[in-house]
Amino acid sequence: MSRYARISDAIAASRGAHWHATDALIRAALLGGGFVVAGALMHEVELVLMGVPLLLSLLFARKPSGEPGVTVRPLPRLAEPGSAHTAADIDPATDTELVVVRLPHETRAYPSGAGTIPIEVRRDAWGPGVDLRVDHLFAGPDALHVYGPVVGVEHSRTVLPPLQYLPAGPLPPRAAGLVGAHRSPRPGDSTELRDIRAFQPGDRLRRIDWRISLRTGNLHVRERHAEADAEVVLAVDTRSDVAQDVAGWAAVEYGTTTRTGGSLDRAVRTAASLAASYLRQGDRVALVDLGRPQLNVRSGVGRRHLLRLRNQLVVCARAAGWAQRPYLPHISYGAVVVVLSPFLDNAVAEIAVHAARRGHLVLAVDSLPSPLLPDAEEPWGVAATALIAAEQRARLALMARHGVVVTTC
Amino acid sequence: MLIRIVTAVACLAIGVVLRANGLGLVQLAIFAALVVITVLMPASAAPALVIAFAAVVMTFADGNPLRIGVLVLIPLLHLVHVTSALAVVIPRKAGVEMSALRAPARRFAAVQAVALALAGIAALLPSGPTPVPLEVAGLASAALVAALVALRI
Repeated sequence: MSRYARISDAIAASRGAHWHATDALIRAALLGGGFVVAGALMHEVELVLMGVPLLLSLLFARKPSGEPGVTVRPLPRLAEPGSAHTAADIDPATDTELVVVRLPHETRAYPSGAGTIPIEVRRDAWGPGVDLRVDHLFAGPDALHVYGPVVGVEHSRTVLPPLQYLPAGPLPPRAAGLVGAHRSPRPGDSTELRDIRAFQPGDRLRRIDWRISLRTGNLHVRERHAEADAEVVLAVDTRSDVAQDVAGWAAVEYGTTTRTGGSLDRAVRTAASLAASYLRQGDRVALVDLGRPQLNVRSGVGRRHLLRLRNQLVVCARAAGWAQRPYLPHISYGAVVVVLSPFLDNAVAEIAVHAARRGHLVLAVDSLPSPLLPDAEEPWGVAATALIAAEQRARLALMARHGVVVTTC
Repeated sequence: MLIRIVTAVACLAIGVVLRANGLGLVQLAIFAALVVITVLMPASAAPALVIAFAAVVMTFADGNPLRIGVLVLIPLLHLVHVTSALAVVIPRKAGVEMSALRAPARRFAAVQAVALALAGIAALLPSGPTPVPLEVAGLASAALVAALVALRI
């Protein structure tokens, strides 16, 4: 065996999930034994007396046996922003005395018989991430033998985008469905009067307006509006994620799903809040990823659909990246289209304008952080930033001229 | 941090005892450097050097073998050994449940009780030349203890 292999084996043997001696054991044996023997040989009682406690500590400390462990109770896969609670169960081996556990917010030494340790996990940033990994180390008496350090199992969660309950925007009449909160142009059974017209075969007798029929001499019926669900399509532009500082636009940010406070973060938060508001009043909401059409979610209603949309927003943000052209699939007539984008290119503005031309009510939500901060290190930083902002303002103005309602996050 | 503070206080007390027993300033500076390394890097060889340094200095200092300085040093050196061992496994910024230190404290007290009993027995023994048979018996006892320790390891 080569010297390198011997050194590697020795390092591997001195750590990991098995019981192994520490330097303190070697120290106690060498110094304790050395002091006692040297003291006896040299007739120095004080040296013997100073070595005796070290030797006795070796004799009193039994080497632990068995395999201790720390088991963490699993956390729910999906979570709301904020804190969650779980616990770690300590399973000590025989003669284990101490366990050092690395928790999310602190590292702490517990007696090995502590049983269950409560753990609080807190994360306010939405997106997927590893929230808990309980690394641990068990120690025997006087830490002369240790088991570990052991790298714990990673527990990851997906924190859903937070919800801010917003008032729902204006919704157009829609000729689909028979229940909902919005007036449909189609006749139906609501209480709101739509028209009074001559009786036709097939009309129900209870709809005859007798007063007008007597006055005109012909049978007339009162026609009422139907109440229908509105359909809202949330189109999120995931092709770019830019922050307020222009200098960092080209930089890669590791460890996060999106740039905090960036355009994608703002768009996702707004989309989640809009979805919650519309779904709460019984409307149908669909999600469109303008950069990745395969990630779209069909329209639906209810609390489960809101969860699905929030989860899919996280998936879209994770898969975010540049696509050559945004793609808005066919949308049913009468649907409201909410386009959430920083509007940094013409293609997404064209999509909004085309949707408005097809008769949809289109709401353009500008997610670009404002005001933009120019790159101070670049001589043309201020001018470039002003140009970007001016182009974006021109796009928003153009969309407004074509009937798109423009607003900001 | 608590464990390292205890180590530092014990080392400070050892330094005071050594200075009272005639340790020079240069040697004291070397001892202080070892103490700093012990507190900052308890996994190094510094704790062993601190213990060995203090034991050697006290052994070769003039005076009664069972003088008060030696009796104070016996628990202090043991304390440095125990707290350095614990400081290796408990990170510097880690919190410590006091109940986790109960068993080491009990064992420390038991060991010190035995050590002080031995010191008491040593005080009662005659201080003249030791008969050869007794010396052989003493060495045999030391060898027995060493064998027991080796078996434990």
